[in-house]
Amino acid sequence: MNVIKMFPVVIILLLLLTAFGLPIVKKKKIVFQISLATIFIAFVMSGVTLNYVTQVGDYLLRIGPYDIPWGITFRIGYIEALMAMLFTGVSLMVGWYGVYSIHKDIEEKHIKYYYLLLHILLASLLGIVFTNDLFNGYVFVEATTLSSCGLIIIKNNKSTSKATFKYLIMSVLGSGLLLMGIAFLYAVTGHLNIGEVHRELVKVAAEKHNIVVISLSLLLVGLGVKGAMFPLHTWLPDAHSSAPSTSSALLSSLVLKAPVVFLIKIMYQVYGLDIIHTTPIFTILLILGLAGMILGSIFAINQKEIKRVIAYSTVAQMGYIFFGMGLGTEMGLMVSLFHVFAHALTKAMLFLCVGSMMEQSGYKYKDEFRGIGKEMPVTLGAFTLGALSMVGIPIFPGFISKWYYSIATINAGQYIFLGFILVSSLLNAVYYFPIVINGYFGKDNVKGKIYRAKYKPVKEVLPLAVLAIAMVMISGYSSTLLEYFKFGLNLK
Amino acid sequence: MQNLVINYYDTAAMILFGVGFMTLLLNNNLIKKIIGMNIMDTSIFLFFIVKGYIQGNRAPIYESMADGGAHFINPLPSALMLTGIVVAVSTTAFALALTIRIHDVYGTIELDEVIEKRRTGYERH
Amino acid sequence: MSGVGLLLPVVVPMLAAVAVPFLLNKGKKIIRWFIIGVVFFNLLINWITIHSLNTRMFHIWKLNTFIDIFLKVDELGIMFSFLVSILWIFTTFYAIGYMDHEEHQERFFAFFIMTLGITNGIAYSGNLFTLYIFYEFLTLATYPLVIHAETEEALHSGRKYLIYSLGGATFILLGMILLYTLTFDLSFVEGGLASLKHIDKKQLMLMIYITIFLGFGVKAALVPFHSWLAAAMVAPTPVSALLHAVAVVKSGVFALLRLCYYVFGAEVVERIEGNLYISFLILTTILLGSLLALHQDNLKKRLAYSTISQLGYILLGIVIINQNALIGGILHLINHAVIKITLFFCVGAIYIATKKKYIHEIRGIGREMPVIMWCFAIASFSLIGIPPSNGFVSKWYLALGGLGANKAIFAVLLMLSAFLTAGYLLPIVVTAFFQSPDQEEEETLVVSRYMTAPIVILTGVIVFLGLFPNTIIRYIEGIVSKLI
Repeated sequence: MNVIKMFPVVIILLLLLTAFGLPIVKKKKIVFQISLATIFIAFVMSGVTLNYVTQVGDYLLRIGPYDIPWGITFRIGYIEALMAMLFTGVSLMVGWYGVYSIHKDIEEKHIKYYYLLLHILLASLLGIVFTNDLFNGYVFVEATTLSSCGLIIIKNNKSTSKATFKYLIMSVLGSGLLLMGIAFLYAVTGHLNIGEVHRELVKVAAEKHNIVVISLSLLLVGLGVKGAMFPLHTWLPDAHSSAPSTSSALLSSLVLKAPVVFLIKIMYQVYGLDIIHTTPIFTILLILGLAGMILGSIFAINQKEIKRVIAYSTVAQMGYIFFGMGLGTEMGLMVSLFHVFAHALTKAMLFLCVGSMMEQSGYKYKDEFRGIGKEMPVTLGAFTLGALSMVGIPIFPGFISKWYYSIATINAGQYIFLGFILVSSLLNAVYYFPIVINGYFGKDNVKGKIYRAKYKPVKEVLPLAVLAIAMVMISGYSSTLLEYFKFGLNLK
Repeated sequence: MQNLVINYYDTAAMILFGVGFMTLLLNNNLIKKIIGMNIMDTSIFLFFIVKGYIQGNRAPIYESMADGGAHFINPLPSALMLTGIVVAVSTTAFALALTIRIHDVYGTIELDEVIEKRRTGYERH
Repeated sequence: MSGVGLLLPVVVPMLAAVAVPFLLNKGKKIIRWFIIGVVFFNLLINWITIHSLNTRMFHIWKLNTFIDIFLKVDELGIMFSFLVSILWIFTTFYAIGYMDHEEHQERFFAFFIMTLGITNGIAYSGNLFTLYIFYEFLTLATYPLVIHAETEEALHSGRKYLIYSLGGATFILLGMILLYTLTFDLSFVEGGLASLKHIDKKQLMLMIYITIFLGFGVKAALVPFHSWLAAAMVAPTPVSALLHAVAVVKSGVFALLRLCYYVFGAEVVERIEGNLYISFLILTTILLGSLLALHQDNLKKRLAYSTISQLGYILLGIVIINQNALIGGILHLINHAVIKITLFFCVGAIYIATKKKYIHEIRGIGREMPVIMWCFAIASFSLIGIPPSNGFVSKWYLALGGLGANKAIFAVLLMLSAFLTAGYLLPIVVTAFFQSPDQEEEETLVVSRYMTAPIVILTGVIVFLGLFPNTIIRYIEGIVSKLI
């Protein structure tokens, strides 16, 4: 049984080792095989870990021979295991899709570096999720930033250069603030291990109230930049729209989420609900989340390029997640975590669909995609499913999120915001539906298009299909997921 | 007020942080932004390391086997900041490479000119 | 799993819809026979489901007490699903004749049959949440039918339809969530949820009631949410007839029935005075619908505004909260469906035979298409409320109910709008029969048997229900007595 406990570390190590082994491989095909096999193994191991956690409960894993408080530990619980499955699963699908399409965006010789970066990204994302040590978290966050910048700039053109620089600068700003926040926490408590910090913080919270507020704000802003919290999201549209499609998918679905999960862990396990309620942080989160929800969608309506539309939609969806955190209740948090799951799957699928459509047709602007439904019916069909989920049509996970957010809002006593949630979902329809409708219907739109002309072979569309199915299944398993999140949070 | 003077290391770190942050944020020249980033990171390292200082103790280096641990300053922050420095260096290296790339593509490393060029000379890819 | 048979009426048509694209290469004829087979099969399984199942409830999916999708059979549901199933059969035959002249038949029939499954789901929904889900699906499934022609105008009307429907759905969701936090139960219970009777938060309950009423009212073409219906007339006539005179709008009315009598319950609605506020809107609907109908030259649009007005009648029957009114309302739900479908079928037949859409174009057409116009005339008389037609019976009950509520204004209103109805329907009949056409046409125009047969049979049903309404009335009385 001890072997299973080590799985999280094994996953990260495996990913890193294969990452550095990839550049010496000569053939592209072998690169793909190694990469996909590794990620698949990681996925299976995450599944086994989840199973283990359901039987045994959460546990701490010591890295190296040094105990707390001198060594680094990983904490593996429900949330961590589930997030690991999500990250590895989505990466697997994206990587698989990339096998068929990445050569259209980047040069042949760079493909193995792409997968190298993918491995490092995945390893650092998992590290953020698993770690129980603040500084370790910071290091993994930095690694995530660097590898995701790499994933963008690997496509060599004007837009990506500027976008990456903007992303890098803002990320570094965020990291600086994050590190400063951690420094303050260290100054007050003398520890970096999350459990230890919490113990000490509870003792000194009353007298060192200022430090608490300052460090929490710094952490919030720092991780907020990385999680595209309004108004720190300005790097996102450029970065996500100019990157290659597979990178966009990874960025929107995974790279934004890990810092948020880290923030949740910090807020609830380092500080704890009581301490945070003495600060105005929850209110700030609430308001910024709302602003993101509404303004993200409004900005999306005005965009001309199709990828920017979806990028701004991501900003709106992250707004939901921050809103849920800002509610300050256990239920709000559970829903936010569920939304992380739902959005990751949906957005990955949407970006892959759009990427596929852009590849086959060569268009970039959303108005040019009229009639694409006739040429690529299955791909647009998957896009439609994603759009329906975003709007909040029942049986899709978007609806489940919306419903639970509403219940959580009411339970927290903030009735006013109910309207915002519902209006925001409706706004999603304004920019998603025209793409779908113009794709399938409209005489002028469909004229001259040949049925299935740009159809991609089945094996290339399979990853999309798997993501779509997973998305629908999530809504079926939503109650189980929520239960797991509740156990994982383990709020006292 | 008095605290600010007594803990002058911390104060200095804060001021440096502010300087670095503002440089990073407000300067147009990309190289200067990178310099600002380094100043900011360095100030945080300073802040952290200072936290390990215990007055009257000496550097944590064993001189003979009989030395106990009672007269050393806290070595943990220094060790951690080594990692931090590595992170900062790698980020700097990456940013510098990116700057070279931007110079290749746009012909300038002033950010406002880059924005101008994107707006006017934007060709579709 | 007991009760799984309840799934059949809902799922079978939807599976059939999915199967249609695979039959594409077998030819149009096969598709037609397939659809005919499916609608008859649907009626059959409805019959069997009702009569041979012991359990009358089936949980499709229960996540927790909030999200609980289940189907339940009760008399009101049976009535609605039978009405819908039977009318669907007529429309299938009519559509086969009509759609011969249009393209994209496969897409049409696929969504056509899918809507049947969804409407069955609405009929058999066991709680507000399930109803809401099928309601949303109804909007999505009928959208491709509305924009079938794919012209600029069609897309524009389709967009209007989507906006109104999704907006209404948002209202419903809002009200539903608030209601849930009050009662923790959204199921349909005859006479209303027990928990609501004891809750005393009048303001909140009133607000919830009005919100959900307005939300469902969008589909029931309640003023001021009615303009999508006239715009949707751009769709092919079978769609206008079935969906916008029967399935979609009557689903809205059906949902309102459920809301008033199975969720809130008659006494609670009276207590919070919900009916008072809504009745203003309903009165406006009845009058405005009729008045606007007078101004329309386009036949289908005139019938659309007539539908808006007639739906107002049904809603009036619902909110007056007494037995006679409710009987009248539910009876009119059935009667109006039959009448309006006949009227639309006639208008569609005229369009197919002569390409004429406006009243001023159809002078003297009575001589060229006597059968169709006679049926139109009979249906018109029925809608106006002239005995011995079924329209007369339902209006009689409504008037009785209005008087019984001691509000003479209702009876006056009914008289007034009867005049108005005559005002917008009779001129069509007169123009068709008594005016001479612009050009001299000699022969009678031939209309496909597929279209004429349903029209004639339905007209016969109209007369039959007018002469022998008692079976249905007794069935409805059975439903109503448990509600009030």
